[in-house]
Amino acid sequence: MFVKTSNKKLKQIQKDLNLTVKELSDIYEEISILYHLSQTLTGLTIDQICNTLLEEVQVMFDVKTAAILLFDENKREIYTAVSNGKWPRSQVFKQGNNIIWNAIEKNKPQVFYNFQSSLFKTRDINSILVCPLIGKKKVAGAIVTGEKTSGEEFFSSDTKLLMAIASQAALSIENAFLYQEMEAFFFGTVMAFVKATESRSKWTSGHSERVTRYSLAIAKKMGMDKNFIERLKICGLLHDIGKIATPIEILDKKGKLSKDELIEIRQHPLTGSMILSDLKPFRDIVLGIKHHHEKWNGKGVPHKLKKQGIPIMARVIAVADAFDAMTSDRPYRKSIGLDACIKELTLYAGKQFDPQIVKVLIKIKDTLLT
Amino acid sequence: MMKVLVVDDEPFILMIVEDKLKKAGYKMLTRRSSDGMMKYIKTNMPDLIIMDWMLPGVSGLDICKKLSKDTKTCSIPIFMLTAKGQESDEKLCIKCGVKQYITKPFSPRELLKLVEATIGKPE
Repeated sequence: MFVKTSNKKLKQIQKDLNLTVKELSDIYEEISILYHLSQTLTGLTIDQICNTLLEEVQVMFDVKTAAILLFDENKREIYTAVSNGKWPRSQVFKQGNNIIWNAIEKNKPQVFYNFQSSLFKTRDINSILVCPLIGKKKVAGAIVTGEKTSGEEFFSSDTKLLMAIASQAALSIENAFLYQEMEAFFFGTVMAFVKATESRSKWTSGHSERVTRYSLAIAKKMGMDKNFIERLKICGLLHDIGKIATPIEILDKKGKLSKDELIEIRQHPLTGSMILSDLKPFRDIVLGIKHHHEKWNGKGVPHKLKKQGIPIMARVIAVADAFDAMTSDRPYRKSIGLDACIKELTLYAGKQFDPQIVKVLIKIKDTLLT
Repeated sequence: MMKVLVVDDEPFILMIVEDKLKKAGYKMLTRRSSDGMMKYIKTNMPDLIIMDWMLPGVSGLDICKKLSKDTKTCSIPIFMLTAKGQESDEKLCIKCGVKQYITKPFSPRELLKLVEATIGKPE
């Protein structure tokens, strides 16, 4: 009798232990996924997050169909950002009674078996699992997985796992949206500065954007890295911001500038760097602006820097700036044309300009004015 | 029946790996330290070894080196399970004959898939 009871108890303990191990295993699975996703999704754009997530989900659940859906705040609808398998690529869900919004409202994953819907017409899906993507502050979208390759249905462990993925993914998407908004605000502010500077004179209109375009083309050809190119873009757009303090009579003067007027206009790189001097994390950009009128031979302004002593950003802008000055109309003269411009740049390479950068510009000259 | 040996000093990891692979149909052997490991492996001849790098006593990597030099054991695939996440560590392991380098925390599901892809699914 005693042995029988002990055996029964032992079996129960064994059963409980197995369940605990299973539970532990699931928790460990979740931890590993959260760890993995937090590393892979950090610093990505929204498109990259969606593509990575789609790939991860498809591999993790071994499913034929998967989709990442995002919430469009303006339209108040959820649209398919990326999808694979039978999920319709252009599927949109208006807020209301449908599989996606129901999952979002319940804030829980929803499983549907033998899923037949007008959504798919001839392409019914045998089983799908929908999980809402809800960030810290708002709805981000949803993840859909469907049709395991094994033909099995979705288990509760799948649901838990997808929830873990969704919680991390929602935060990453939310962060990426915030970053995108901040970036748009930042570039909007930069463009406002550019417009404020350029609106003062019709001759300078569009100059900063063209110089930026030429500078970026040069930097890309030089093989500069992404970070440099991103910062050069800001430097190019703002390089003439100091002209906001240059008297309009000087900017628009048709004849030759007097000595005093030349002194005045040569102040603009320094003025620009002073205007932006509080942007401490952008020191390289501020220096690019400050020194874009230095000359390779050390006869430029404001500090008579020489050769490699001139920051690289300033050297690139200097060549792009001169290129635009010669190939666009000015109050005191018309454009001199591409060929004459290249001749001038070649003549002054090694004197006014970094000869290597002039060489690079010559290589890409035909693509610049199109 | 295909045999998989798991060596890790963390009982929690042993339990998780054993549970996942056992349910998939593999015969599991588990050890918590590297004591007498070469002899144990030669006696039991597992089809695959999943080993922690940082084991008390002889390290997992040293055992790998020994296994890859021994004609009897050099063909046994080894998965290194470790918290060391640096690329140079991974390169070192691959150089020493490790088939898969898996960083902790790892996904038991993914591990099972790798095992199946390496030695095949149990019949």
